[in-house]
Amino acid sequence: MSEYRRKSASIAITAVLIVIAVVGIYKWAASQRTEKPVDIIVTVKAKSSAIDFWKVLITGVEDAANEFGANVTVIGPPSETEIDIQMEQLEQAIRQKPDAIVMAATDYNRLVPVAQQIVKAGIKLITVDSRINSDDALSFIATDNIAAGEKAGEEMAKLLPESASSKIAIMSYVYGTSSQLEREKGVRQWLDGHSHIAVASTLYSEGRLEKAYELTKELLAKDPGIEGIVGLNEPSTVGAGRAIEELGLSGKVKLVGFDSSVDEVKLIESGVLQATIVQKPYNMGYLSVKTAIEAVRGKKVPKLIDTESVIINKDNMYTEQNQKLLFPFVGE
Amino acid sequence: MELFKFKSIQTNIAAASACLILLTAILLGVISYQLSASSVRETAQDYTAELIRQVNANIQTYITSMENISMLALSNEDVRELVSEEGNNGTSSEELAREQRISASFHSIMASRKDIASINVIGYNGRFVSDREHVELNPSIRLAEQPWYTSAQEASGRIVVSSSHVQHMFKDEYDWVVSLSRELWSKDQTEPRGVLLVDLNFSVINDTLNNIDLSKRGYVFIVDESGNIVYHPQQQLIYSNLKSEKIDQVLAKGSGSFTTEEGKTSRIYTIQDTGFGWKIVGVSYVNELIGNKREMQLSMVAAGVFCLIVGLLLAVFISRNLSRPIKQLQEHMKKVEKGIFNIRVPIGNPREIASLARTFNLMVVKIEELMSQVVREQEIKRKSELTALQAQINPHFLYNTLDSIIWMAEGKKTDEVVLMTSALARLFRSSISRGQELVPIRTEIEHVANYLTIQKIRYKDKLDFHIDVDPDIYGYRTLKVLLQPLLENAIYHGIKNRIGTGTIQVTGGKRDGYIWLEVSDNGVGMEAEALRTILEPRRNDRESKGVGVVNVHERIQLYFGKDYGLTYRSVPDEGTTVTVRIAAIEGDELAGGVGA
Repeated sequence: MSEYRRKSASIAITAVLIVIAVVGIYKWAASQRTEKPVDIIVTVKAKSSAIDFWKVLITGVEDAANEFGANVTVIGPPSETEIDIQMEQLEQAIRQKPDAIVMAATDYNRLVPVAQQIVKAGIKLITVDSRINSDDALSFIATDNIAAGEKAGEEMAKLLPESASSKIAIMSYVYGTSSQLEREKGVRQWLDGHSHIAVASTLYSEGRLEKAYELTKELLAKDPGIEGIVGLNEPSTVGAGRAIEELGLSGKVKLVGFDSSVDEVKLIESGVLQATIVQKPYNMGYLSVKTAIEAVRGKKVPKLIDTESVIINKDNMYTEQNQKLLFPFVGE
Repeated sequence: MELFKFKSIQTNIAAASACLILLTAILLGVISYQLSASSVRETAQDYTAELIRQVNANIQTYITSMENISMLALSNEDVRELVSEEGNNGTSSEELAREQRISASFHSIMASRKDIASINVIGYNGRFVSDREHVELNPSIRLAEQPWYTSAQEASGRIVVSSSHVQHMFKDEYDWVVSLSRELWSKDQTEPRGVLLVDLNFSVINDTLNNIDLSKRGYVFIVDESGNIVYHPQQQLIYSNLKSEKIDQVLAKGSGSFTTEEGKTSRIYTIQDTGFGWKIVGVSYVNELIGNKREMQLSMVAAGVFCLIVGLLLAVFISRNLSRPIKQLQEHMKKVEKGIFNIRVPIGNPREIASLARTFNLMVVKIEELMSQVVREQEIKRKSELTALQAQINPHFLYNTLDSIIWMAEGKKTDEVVLMTSALARLFRSSISRGQELVPIRTEIEHVANYLTIQKIRYKDKLDFHIDVDPDIYGYRTLKVLLQPLLENAIYHGIKNRIGTGTIQVTGGKRDGYIWLEVSDNGVGMEAEALRTILEPRRNDRESKGVGVVNVHERIQLYFGKDYGLTYRSVPDEGTTVTVRIAAIEGDELAGGVGA
């Protein structure tokens, strides 16, 4: 009898020990798994370019990587038009088997197959700034470009006399990227709905300042009735601004732009550029990495994160908050 | 509670030590974890505070040097002259030379320092002198509207340190600077004349702060007195409300530290006031400070499990060692229970159980002894009873008596034959006594009377006897055939050898709670030597004198104990008296009969 009790007691104790050991090992293993740093590859649209936008975005990426302990590699084609290079780089990136890829797509449609490959390889896909024409990405972190376009349209409408119906032009950049399509849509949507302003034409600068400059000069020479131009990204805006300035039309032909740079700041100060819609690339970079990490760790991530945009003009450009947006880097 | 009612010692000990170890391990683990966590936390806080002090010292150096430069400029005679001029706009050669001298002296200050971005004097008279030789101002701004200008005017002579901002007063320059500005007064200190501006490259502060490695996620930020962020590594996240800093709390507190209540993301703010309006704040995450929290917890758990296992093994081992001898003892006890006495428990460890085993062994030996003693005593009892019976129907006595009867019958002494034969018959009848060991004294006395009657007929004038027993003791019990051997002894060894008539006196009574019976004769008596040895057993010499006496003595002692027995008193040639001492045991019915 006592033998039996002793046996059952020792069995119970052994069972308890095993349970404790198993729980301990499980917890240890679980902790090991979450401790492992996440590998992320981020592709921007133009890596070697001097465009502040991408530099600031990469700063956000790096800050998030440091904060959350992720290994981040940033890749990207030399300029925004080199879609093939980005596709090639992404194929190579898939072979490195990262946990997540954060992608700013150079083309709305052509990157879809690569995106599908990424998802098929079991890599979490997050898009940032410019998305693709498919549902493969877990999350899209960007400025609400339609809303930003609407803001630009609204600013332009404020600058032009309400009574007469005026004509403006849109200086776009690379045809086919989502951000370009949405911004233009936003501008047109707002102007159509709220004013008598007509959009005469949309020009494509290919994201190059010189092209925008030449196209603007051509446009203004051809059609003197153009009263305003909306530049949809930084080089397009600056190119258009230079042309307006050179033609001595500062203030006469209104210019509303996108993004920021020292050139744009000068244009604002000199009165060529009346307003610019500034995005928050730092936040985009930061949030894209943060979201990617969350996705890898199995959390549910929102399908869309709007990083918002701000209207900058001569009056508010040196406020505490806006100067940090316009001049993101100290000591350069 | 039912759970803990283990029946065996081993389980009890094991369970108790398991609980104890578990409790101790948990307690120690929790305490040491708390202690180490708080010490890690304190160390980290001290480290942060030290780092912040260093940052403060660095920044203080920059600000102090700016102040020194401003003092230098202020005391510059040329600067005073420049701002004091009225009406002229710097066209005279003297004025130009002065401007050049000022610019050159500013330039020489600048040359030795990389941290200063520019030194400028703006006179209310419209004069502007910078450290730069060919200065081109930004055409789209007005100096008098700049915050550093207006706040210097408001401070009227005191030094004003701005937050970090973009300096855009020079054409095509957009540098992040910290501006130190102060109003210049006339020589006689009566009226304001202009503003002195010293710009510090913000990059020097930025670089200092960027290089600080507080911890993986920890960081340092600076706010000015109105809550504007001078420096923050993630300024844009704050502006977009993606992150928040407890700026109100920082402003409310001078120097020191506080911890926010944000659950898992609680932060510790360590604040250092710079003395000129800025506050340097080190922020660290509580759960990062105890970064290897999980590791610590794990190692605690592992240590606890290890202790538990070792402790349990130890407990099982110890309890087995402890319970094994007990179990052995128990098994031996069971054997003893079954009547096996020839066993001994091996005496091992521990001491307590060993002494238990020793005592048990002693007990077993004692029981065995007692058992054999009882067996022996029973044997003796039987034997002595047998001997008594033999004494009663002594063939010599029977033969002699019958011989006497024959002789009397031949001599036609009919009365005597009848008397003797009836006495003999009564003698035997009284000794039958339904097989009982104890008989009433009355029966014994009857027996004695019958016996003495027969002997008296045999010995005629040679023997006389008197029986004088207190009738009160007739009801008490005595062993049967107790006195006959004593009478025999008195006749054969006392009276028979005497010349003349011998008298035997049988008396009895009760004294001090016991019964005494006495047989005395006036025979030859005994020598001292014979008297001394009369009660000693002599087994090999059955027929010798005193065998019956010894048997009587032994019987009495077997029945009534060592306090009772025979005592002999004897004087040679005068007689012998033997006293029988027995316990006073009342026989129920007979006692009543006597009383009636």
